[in-house]
Amino acid sequence: MAGLQTIIDSCNGIKINRRNVVGIQYTRNEIPRVSQTPTTNAWKITLDMPNSFRYSEARALLEELDTLDTTTPQEVTFGNNPNLRWIWAYQGGLSTNQLNTLNVSSYVGNQLVLNGLPAVASSRLLFKKNDLIQIKGHPYPFTTENDVLRGTGGTVTITTSRPNIMTTNVAGIGLNVGTNCIFNFFCPNMPVYKLVVGGYQKASNVVQNNALIEFSDSFLLYEFTGEA
Amino acid sequence: MEIIPAVAGNKTNINSAEFIKLTIYNDVNNPTDISVYTFSSSYKEETINFQTYSPMGGLLAVGIQQRDIRVTSADTSLMLSGISGDNIYVVLANKIRGSRIDITRGFYNNQFVLTSTAHRFTGIVTSYNISEERHDLVDNYTVTLNASSFRYVLENRIAGRKTNKESWQSFYPNDGSLNNLYSISDQQFDFGMAVTKTTVTGSTASTDASQVGTNQARNEQP
Repeated sequence: MAGLQTIIDSCNGIKINRRNVVGIQYTRNEIPRVSQTPTTNAWKITLDMPNSFRYSEARALLEELDTLDTTTPQEVTFGNNPNLRWIWAYQGGLSTNQLNTLNVSSYVGNQLVLNGLPAVASSRLLFKKNDLIQIKGHPYPFTTENDVLRGTGGTVTITTSRPNIMTTNVAGIGLNVGTNCIFNFFCPNMPVYKLVVGGYQKASNVVQNNALIEFSDSFLLYEFTGEA
Repeated sequence: MEIIPAVAGNKTNINSAEFIKLTIYNDVNNPTDISVYTFSSSYKEETINFQTYSPMGGLLAVGIQQRDIRVTSADTSLMLSGISGDNIYVVLANKIRGSRIDITRGFYNNQFVLTSTAHRFTGIVTSYNISEERHDLVDNYTVTLNASSFRYVLENRIAGRKTNKESWQSFYPNDGSLNNLYSISDQQFDFGMAVTKTTVTGSTASTDASQVGTNQARNEQP
């Protein structure tokens, strides 16, 4: 299992940072003036790890993290662990088969236009606000800004949480939705680890030397958008 | 005064990015021999005036550009990433000083589509700086380009001509108006009275004439 995926699956706390790059100035009469830069708005997730990992069980993980170091990105998902699938669970009203028929008509700025809509009632909810969506093959997920209903037209337009940062043509490509979405993260602060006395185990009635792993910091996962 | 529609009307939210065009003149005798580098703080490539600006150019920061009611000659600076890319190479391997810098601000609508642009700064690179800052294991390289506006360059321009033969004839080769200037240089004329001063030597007169001309030229500068 990939190193960063193990960290996600085993963490005991997740802090999600999706804030935009903005500057705010308050006037004398307390009216805020906001200046925003249209960035790639990368996902930033901070994961707290428990200190309960035994060295005998985590050695492969530690070596994987050493290999990744602070620069190498890795694809991870929140759908891997059954205990985490609820976080980005799809909230709309389409079946898996119906979702699989959806494909991109165009994606300009933050306006995603979808084709391949199923024959369902016009009031059917395709996506609820903050549903996670991704163009297949492009690990750069975004969320919907509003509830999206089926309507009566041949296409629907979704306002996404960030603009289209992909440099290749995405027309005709299908979607990953909810927990099926994949993130491309690297860990710029890759914590170091300390082996602490403890975690002894018995094997054949003999106590084996072991240690508990203590990470120096939380894992800050930063979305790698350099080759989007 | 230029009205920028994107910020007119007391708007409370502005979505904008900086677009930088760096034009390096490779040969002083051939103004068409240029290298152009473009980069921006935007999230994707944008084309402005047939020039494509790359979002991956390593632009870290753009210094302030002073805006006054009247034309100003303030400086500004650009900070580029020295990590990866070729920014350090661009600075060291090219004739970066004297290069032209154009800074444009692009304005986006709520759909993150570029709707308008406004030119903010035109100037030339006067100096550069490459710095390395290391904290623990984090190494940061920054390339800083300092630029002066064209107005500042024009303020330092030397104009006019000296009132001596050489300077005069560099403009009008066939005009002999100042050919005799040296002979009367440093002479005191007592108009209406008998001449009492004697003529000084030619070399001294020539030097003095040059200085007289220089002083007069200074007075003539705009």
